[in-house]
Formats: sequence, structure tokens, C-alpha cells
Amino acid sequence: MRTASFLKNIVIAIKRFFQKDLTPYIVFAIPLIFLIVFLFWPLANTFIRAFMDKGSKFDLSHLNLSNFRKFLESPLYQKSLRNSFVLSISVMMFSLLIGIPMGYIVARVNIPAKNLLLSLGILPVIMPSFVGAFSWIILLGRQGVLRHALNTILLPIGIELPPIYGMFGMILTMTLTYYPFVFLLSYSAFSSANPLLEEAAMLMGASKWRIFRTITFPLILPSIGASGLLVFIRSIGSFGIPAIIGGQQYVLPTLIYFRVNGFWDLNGASAIAVVNVIITGAVLMLQKYVVSKREYETITTSRSEQKVYSHWVAKFFGTVFCLLVLILSLAPQITIIIMSFFEKWHGLAPEGFTLKNYARIPQVSRRELMNSIYLSSVATLLTAILGSIIAYITERRKPKGSAILDMAIMAPFVLPGTVVAVALISAFSGDSIISLGGTFTIIIIAYMIRRTPYVYRSVVASLTQLDPKLEESSIIAGATWFYTFRRVSLPLILPGIISGSILTFTTLLQELSTTILLYGPKTRTVPIQIYAAVADGKMGEASALSTVLLVVVFIIVYLMNTFQGNKMADSFKMG
Amino acid sequence: MKKTLQYDRVNKIFNEGSKHAVHALRDVSFAIDSGELFCLLGPSGCGKTTLLRCTAGLESITSGHILYGDSDITTIPPYRRNIGMVFQSFALYPHMNVFENVAYGLRVRKLDDKEVKRKVNQIMELVGLTDVLERNPSPTALSGGQQQRVAIARALVYDPDVLLLDEPLANLDAKLRRYMRAEIRRIQKATNITTIFVTHDQEEAMAVGDRLAVLRDGVVEQIGTSNELYHNPCNAFVANFIGKMNFFSGQVLAYDSDTVTVSLYDGTLLSIRRNNYRASTEPIKGDIIMVAARPEHLSISTQASIPSIAGQVSIIQHLGHIVRYEVDVPPEFSDQPLEIDMDGLVESVREKDSIRVVFDQQKIAVYGSDESR
Repeated sequence: MRTASFLKNIVIAIKRFFQKDLTPYIVFAIPLIFLIVFLFWPLANTFIRAFMDKGSKFDLSHLNLSNFRKFLESPLYQKSLRNSFVLSISVMMFSLLIGIPMGYIVARVNIPAKNLLLSLGILPVIMPSFVGAFSWIILLGRQGVLRHALNTILLPIGIELPPIYGMFGMILTMTLTYYPFVFLLSYSAFSSANPLLEEAAMLMGASKWRIFRTITFPLILPSIGASGLLVFIRSIGSFGIPAIIGGQQYVLPTLIYFRVNGFWDLNGASAIAVVNVIITGAVLMLQKYVVSKREYETITTSRSEQKVYSHWVAKFFGTVFCLLVLILSLAPQITIIIMSFFEKWHGLAPEGFTLKNYARIPQVSRRELMNSIYLSSVATLLTAILGSIIAYITERRKPKGSAILDMAIMAPFVLPGTVVAVALISAFSGDSIISLGGTFTIIIIAYMIRRTPYVYRSVVASLTQLDPKLEESSIIAGATWFYTFRRVSLPLILPGIISGSILTFTTLLQELSTTILLYGPKTRTVPIQIYAAVADGKMGEASALSTVLLVVVFIIVYLMNTFQGNKMADSFKMG
Repeated sequence: MKKTLQYDRVNKIFNEGSKHAVHALRDVSFAIDSGELFCLLGPSGCGKTTLLRCTAGLESITSGHILYGDSDITTIPPYRRNIGMVFQSFALYPHMNVFENVAYGLRVRKLDDKEVKRKVNQIMELVGLTDVLERNPSPTALSGGQQQRVAIARALVYDPDVLLLDEPLANLDAKLRRYMRAEIRRIQKATNITTIFVTHDQEEAMAVGDRLAVLRDGVVEQIGTSNELYHNPCNAFVANFIGKMNFFSGQVLAYDSDTVTVSLYDGTLLSIRRNNYRASTEPIKGDIIMVAARPEHLSISTQASIPSIAGQVSIIQHLGHIVRYEVDVPPEFSDQPLEIDMDGLVESVREKDSIRVVFDQQKIAVYGSDESR
């Protein structure tokens, strides 16, 4: 009798289980498994390897701190660590020094062509950063055009500019690449701050400087702080710029590359990666904290016009400052385009106009072009699917631990590309169960892991706009979960998926830091080819390929801006 | 085919077992008749929307049963319940035109195009949107009232067993709200679909519902017609939630089978009809109780008629069909100013004048003093 009722209860439980719509659970299981296998496992693997001696097999019984001891013993390690800090802090400071005034001027001074400034201002972030680095070599390198010219002028007073290689070059290039984060974030903070607050202060008799000091600036301080820390995170993870322009000065990401490529010392590289991640993680926590303080910034619904300065002095200096920064930050791209049409550029003017650099692309870089397109497209497609589903789970189902999922998905966004590469190599190459070394698959997986946050962010943003009642009303009308997803949710979040995917695609076309540790002879991409050409001193070839990359990226971004309104800048902010 | 919708000891606890557990519904049991327009009324957070969402299946209940006719629908997923629902925000699909919005439930049910068209036309005629259907714009281009009608049409088009309306009028302006509540009643009576209407506005609930249930803190306080709830509220909370009720503290002096004699603070004696004695316990001599009087059960007078108490007019509001006097009385009578409705202005009475407040002893009632309002 008891067993009978027990069995009956089980039958009822099973029936109830199957009465539920199981599709969502099955669909949601896939990305979870993906994350576990290709993110959690490799990261765990890296962490464990960091405690193992050079060259030793994966073995839990011989853990020690020898890899970390190098940070205390090896001058190279110490120098790299110091360089990383000096570089990132300098870049952050200079970006703030350039970005805040520029944001304030564009928001509050009546200068001409504001929209142009805003859309050109984002370009350095969108364009490949290593291209910027090597074009500064053309300008200020050993045989650099600008350096040559400046030295000619400075010779009488006995000063000779050193070539740009090293710390100065890295700081210059990186600042000009990353200052737009500060510029755009402080611009939006300055222009969206509630003008009524300033007007109230004015009515109470405060001077302009006092208003700025006590009202405007404190209100946007969290925004600026967050953007500064974002620049720090980007700088400390940057590989391309130090690799090309750093010369003898190593930083953590290039040190990782050196460890892997020079010594095939994965365990040593893992230790450096762990140190790198700890620093980034600490800064990220700080940034999240600062962002959480940002709430009180824009709580206004009534629009009142901002006070804009129209005095000619303000207009004049504002315009000059912005133009100067813009020209400096776009100089690299312009240099590259000019260079690509000439044989060499050693003196003041480039010599030997030619189209040969372009004509040679199909012969020399045909495979690289095909690979880049193939890898980027496949990875983008899969990323779009993965990112959308995960966004949907965390945002709609809010399962227990969705905060962890959220962190996991955002982690690769701040993990330096070299770290992700090291993690994947240590889990999936050589003696591992699934061996993926040198395949297209491992690059695609790395791309997916690194770019899922782009789609995720973008889709979460559209999902928060999408009233859950729309989905509920569909379910009540009799639709299953999948029908609802197909007819209601998907069409409404599609713009978010598309903009996230385009962002993914354009950034993957120029991906260098992960690919450089994962590529094999069959899987070389365009950025790898450019990097190799620069290393060989083939500036013409590198410039032509870079120009192709610049043009493709620019066209995609421009088209998207046209179709989706000016949201591109927003999606690149990612803060 | 007449089926009742029945709630049997329904409990809903959010975050059960955690520190933040909220007992949103407590042993809710009642039945709604087939074809009835039933209102769930209560202050915000009382559980009315939760009960509606449990009925739809959007929330699962913690214990108890929901029955439709003879079948237990407690665990049936929402998409198999054949229910129509109109949300406060209307939840119209911005990426579909009006026709496709209304046709949605029919498409889900895989009806052929001709049938879909016929049914959509029919329902749009019922809700009075034939002209909108001809233009067939995006729902975002419609006015609030039109969006509301589209939402109702979309919920009704597939002949649901039950229609759920979650504060459907809250997003409309005051004038349209009054008009639409009559429309909703007309449409409901035309289709005769069992309907639950959730609102926090007692005037709306009384105007629309055949019967209403008053909820507080997850408990059903009283169920009845508008008339019953207004004239015979079972406790002080319902009395003050359905319309305004003035309360005075008093003491039972004597009682018999017809009347209860109560004395107020200053010794004024009121003889109240025994069937208006609504405290939960039988009257006991010496009990402290609350005398309850609706604004229309009091009047102001310049002469000292009996029984009456002294007061001072603080505010006079002319509301059109009535004039509302706000009258201050000593706090020993009542801790709040009294509201008194008169059919017209009382000549010679101005704000700040001292007057007498006269009781209509046939209408006033008594509640226990420990009942919160």
C-alpha cells in the first residue's frame, strides 16, 4: 500500500516535470557547458600551472612558488612589473588630462562641428592599436620623418631626440589610443548633468568657478574616475603597442608572450598571467565600486538647456585644443594611409609613389585575408548565439548564482588577451585530453570567450528595455517558451544582437594579442601578418594591409552608425 | 458548461525559507461564478496582483488548489490554461501591427488565415476599433484608450475561459478611466466571459464589479456586492477602505435586542440599531467601542439638536453634487477631522465657525475598538 502511493507520487512528479516546458532548460545548458569547459577549466588549469616548475607535467603533488619567486629575483620580471604600473598609471593620468578638458569643451563651449569631433574622437579606439604604434615608428622611429625634421631644427642647440622605442613611445601611443574613453564618458557626464543644479547654485550667488568646483565636478567625478580606471585596465592588458614600440622594455603581457614563445614555459607564463589578473581584478573591483557611486548623476527627467559658453576666447582655445588632440590622435592612421602608397619614407617626404604594396597583397597575404574573414565570421556568429542566450538566462530567468554567471561572462573582457590565450593553451595543447593546438578551433574558441561580453552587454541592454509582460502575455495567450522567444523576444532584442555582433566582428578582424600565441602556420591572420611585416621592417607591406583593415572597419562602423543611430560610441565605451 | 473558478486555501510565500520570506497570500478561499465580473480590491502590496498572477500560472502557489469547474489547474502551465490577460502597461508588441497583435493568440492556436481574419474583425467590432483596423498602424501610434481596447481585444479573441485584468485603467487619464470602466463592463457582459478585475481604486471596483473581494496583507477581508460592502462592511478596515468612514470612540452603556446605547466622551447618548453593531464580539456593558459614521450620516447644524456634538468647520469644499465640510472636533471624540457631506451649502456657516455635528442614529454603526482601520 505504501509502496503503491510512493510510486504514484513519483509518477506525478515525473508528469509535472514533463508538463513543464523543457526547451529553455536544454537551450540554457549549452552555454553553461561551454563556459565550464572553455573558461572555468582553462582558468583553473592556468592557476594550478602557475605553481608548478618549468617544464613539469600537470601534477598536483609538486606545487611550489618558484615561478612567483622570480618576481623577487629576476630583474627582467621586476622591470616588467614596474613598467606595467608606470605605463598604465601614466596613460591613465595623461588620458584624464586630455580627455576631461576635451569632454568639457565639447559639452559646454559653443565650438563648431561638435558631432564631427564626437564621431572622429572615437576612431582611435575602433582602429587597431598596434597600427597606431607602428605608424608612430614611421613618424618618430630611428628613421622617422618627424624625428628627422625635429632633429634638424634642434641640432643647433645640441639636442637630439632619441628614437621613440621604449616607455615614452608606449605612453604616447597608448594615451592617444585610449583617451577617447575619458573624453566620451566625461562628455556625456558633462552634457547630461542636471543644469537645474547649476542654475540653483547660480541663483544662490555662486561664481562660475565655484559652481564648477562644488557642483559640476563632484557630480561627474564618479564617471571620470570610472573612465580613468577603464583606461588603466585597458593599458595594463595591452599587448600590441608594447610588442611593437616597447623595444627592450617589457610589460606583463609581452613578458607572457616572451615566456611562451621564447622558452615554451607555460607554467612560468601562467604565473605572470595570475599576477596580471590579480592586478586587473583589483582595479576592476575599484571601478565597479566607483561606478556604483554614479547613480545620483542623472536623475532628471525635465530637460533644461545646458549653459553653453559662447565667448570668443573660450571658443578659440576650445577649438584649437580639440583640433590639436584630434590631429595628434589621428596622425597614425593618416601616416599609414600615405605610407601605403610609397616605397619608403626616410626623409621629410615619402619617396617613390607606387601601388605595388597593394598589388602584392593577393600573392603574399591571400591566406591571411581568408583566415581573418573566416575566423572572424564564424566566431562572431557563434558569439552572437552564445552571448544572447547567456544574456537571456541571467536577465530573464535570474537563476541562483546568476551574479557569478554575470561575472564569469564579463571576466574575459578584462582578462588580457595573452592571459586567455595562455589559459587555452595550458588546457588544450600538447598532452591534454582534447588537443587543439594550432587549429582554427582553438582560435575561434578564444575569440568567443573574449568577445561574448560584447554581445552579452548589448543584449542585456535591449532586454532591460523589453518589458517581461510582453513575454508573459504571449505565454498566457497559449504560446510555448520557444514560440514566445521566436515571435516576441528575439525580434525585439535583434538590434542589440546585431550591434553587439558588429562590434565583435570589427574587433576580431584586428585581434592580435590572443591570436599571436595561438596561431599556427595554417591559421595566420592579417594582424599577425602586419606584426611580422613590421618586425621585418617591411613598412610598405604592413601599411597597405593596415589600410585595408582600417577601411573595412571604418566602413562597417560607418554603416552601422547610419542604420542604428549614433549608438556605436556607446557600445565602445564598455565601462 | 457553467464552470466556477475556485480558490481553495491558496497560500503564496515568496522566497520561502529565506530571511526575506513574504507571505503574500494567506489561506485564500472563495469562488467566482461563471460569467461573473469579479473585482479584487485592496491597497498596494495586499496580494491582489499576486493572486491574479497565480490564477494565470505566472506564479506557482506554495500550497492550496485552484480549480476550474471540476479540474485542478494548480500545476497546469500558463500556456495551457486558456486564459486572457490585460496588463497595466498593455504589453502590446511594438514590432507587430494592430492586426497581428490581436491575432497573436489565434496564430499560436494555428487557425487558418480566413478564420483569423474573421475573428479579429469580429472582436475589433466589439471593442469599437473597426476604423483603426482598416489603417492597421503600429500599436505605438495609438492613443492610450485605443491601446487599451487593442489589449482587451487581444485577450478576448481566442475565447478564453477566464479574462484577467491587472489594473487595466491605471495608465489612462481620469476622464478616459471613467469612460473605459463602463466600456469594460459592456464588453464583459457582451462576451459573458468570467472576468477578474484587479484595482486599488474602490470607486472603480464598485462601479465595475458584480461582486468584489477586499484584500489586506494577503487575507480576504470581505466578499460581496458593492452595495453590501458599502452599507454593511464587516470591519473597520473595509468600512474605511470602501468609501470614507468617520470614527468616534465611545462606550457601551446598555443594550437590548433592538438597540445598543452608547455614550460619547462628553456624555452624548446615541442609540444605535442592534444590527448595525458589527464588533466581532457580543456587546458587553462598559466596553470601549468605535462609533462609525459615513460622511452622509452626519450633518451640520447651527442649532443644538439631539444627539449632536460641538465642532468647528475648518474647510468647505464644493464638489458639485454635494458640499463637503471638514470639521475639527476635540481629539477625545476623534483623532482625525470629520468629513461631513451635505446636499447643499448650509447658509450662514463659514470656515472657522463653531457648529453642531448631528448623527443619523438609524445609519451609524459600531466596530470593536481594537480593530485597526
